[in-house]
Amino acid sequence: MDPEILTSAILDGLLIGGAYALVAMGLAMIWGVMEIINFAHGDFMMLGALFTFFLFTSAGLDPIISALISFAPIFALGVIVQRGVINKILDAPLLTQIAATFAILLIIRYGVQAAFGPYTRRLVSGYSDIYINLGFTTVPLPKVIIFVTSLIVLGLLYVLLHQTDLGIAIRATSQDRRVAQLMGINVSRIYDVTFGIGVGVAAIGGGLIALFYPIFPEMGGFFALIAFIAVVLGGFGSVYGAYAGGLIIGIAESVSALFIEPALKDVVAFLIFIMIILVKPTGLFGRGD
Amino acid sequence: MAGSLARINLYHATGIATLLVLPFLLDSIGMAFYVNMIFLALMYGIAALAWNLMMGYTGLFSLGHAVFFGVGSYTVAILALYYNVTPWVGLILAGVTAGLLGLVLSPPLLRLRSHWFTLATIALGEIFRLSFAHWDYVGGSSGLQMPISERRLYYLQFTGATIYSYIALGVLAVELIVLWRIVNSRIGFYLQTIREDELVAQTLGINTFKYKTIALAISAFFTGIAGGLYTVRFRYVDPFALFDLITISTYIAVAGIIGGIYTFLGPLIGSFIFIPVSEYVRANIVQAFPRIYGLHVTVLGVILLVISLFAPEGILGYLKKRREKR
Repeated sequence: MDPEILTSAILDGLLIGGAYALVAMGLAMIWGVMEIINFAHGDFMMLGALFTFFLFTSAGLDPIISALISFAPIFALGVIVQRGVINKILDAPLLTQIAATFAILLIIRYGVQAAFGPYTRRLVSGYSDIYINLGFTTVPLPKVIIFVTSLIVLGLLYVLLHQTDLGIAIRATSQDRRVAQLMGINVSRIYDVTFGIGVGVAAIGGGLIALFYPIFPEMGGFFALIAFIAVVLGGFGSVYGAYAGGLIIGIAESVSALFIEPALKDVVAFLIFIMIILVKPTGLFGRGD
Repeated sequence: MAGSLARINLYHATGIATLLVLPFLLDSIGMAFYVNMIFLALMYGIAALAWNLMMGYTGLFSLGHAVFFGVGSYTVAILALYYNVTPWVGLILAGVTAGLLGLVLSPPLLRLRSHWFTLATIALGEIFRLSFAHWDYVGGSSGLQMPISERRLYYLQFTGATIYSYIALGVLAVELIVLWRIVNSRIGFYLQTIREDELVAQTLGINTFKYKTIALAISAFFTGIAGGLYTVRFRYVDPFALFDLITISTYIAVAGIIGGIYTFLGPLIGSFIFIPVSEYVRANIVQAFPRIYGLHVTVLGVILLVISLFAPEGILGYLKKRREKR
């Protein structure tokens, strides 16, 4: 195989992986701190994409700024969902937790379909047609933007979790909820913030993905499954592991697309998913749960 | 003995009598819409009871039963279309194919627990949907249409849903007897031990993989037959309708959860509550607001959320708990 084709496929996958990583990091954070698997995670991402689209088309705001702004409303929605639903099922049987977060998925996904129609929207902005020439290959600017943003968000999350009082409280809660409570940490508040940040980061991802990916109510399903793979790869609950997992899946996907029919690319992604949870259920960088 | 069928009480007798009379009665007064509703409730009820052998009894939450349902549907269609096999036989073979698929899938699937099992079943549904949509032998994305035939009895082609309802009732009767025997046998108790604590079950010397495989295969078998009933009733199979996460996998699960997963008849009751509600919403609300898509699924989400927050034991479970309190 032509090494240049392979290199550009790897590069393209790495950039796309930034998008997957943005969605996956929030999922990992929620799982790590709250031990809740958020089945609706991809749908919060879709809300971010839709919000960005509407800010761009009706307010004329720059789509990148819109995507960053989308963090705020989705954060707020996340806090509401956490208070109204998640908080009530934290100690419920696992089957109830799955059913409840899956119900949130249905309400968001099909509520959006009911409110805004089942249409596919495309965000066509000034960024869409710009390519960066790297000599041996060209890369589209939107993908570079999303990759750079994912790195920045990763850095911000690191600073938040390790350099601030809030971050220390979040990590303490994730280690032991009861002891954290005894130390005077308002655990319920920590859960609000964690869930809000988790889905808010996914929303930023959604908003930026919208720069080159069609927006439709069910788009979150695919990204959620990818994010689950990334979280598994990264070892449950590790934000940094999930980030690496996202990049790995991006690369694996775009390289495998060189060898198989593109229409079946998603089948391969899901097969890889099942294989991974079979072969290494604690993840590549897992701490063994 | 708990396994005997002699414990049929007045409620059960009334239920059986109603189910036997209702399709015929509604049909004779020209309420075909409601007969179809009963058929759908029976079809989903058969699948939900089978699904619950895994969920309520074994603790494995599947959101991929559309795989077995769809494979059952396709089995009936392909056998009739390509090999002129009567759906009477096809229905049984639909169960056999789905059951065998369950056996094949069990080594990888059953190594997974809790939400990873659920996620894998969702991914499995996607794999089947995409693969069938790209597989020419099964009609690709346009699916297969069963032509109208002169040999109506041979190809099971009748007007309306009445006769199909009675066929579904027959399947349901067989299923109830088989499942009742299983859950009250040694296997049923092993499965419930696995549900409560798999490690304890293993410590007690139970071959957990073997019994989970049995549960999966039987569950797949009856779900496949439910899928076969879909084919004979609607004479059309396509990958997007049959391997659908919402209208098949989730409907089956929600019917089970509404009725009560820790009760034997709960999923059937749940189906008879949920399917009419869903059909009503679809026929009336969606018709009244044709431009509002997805509204009925949103309603489904709200129902599921309310149930999981306020009555996670389901309706039958709730009633049982109240009766025991007195």
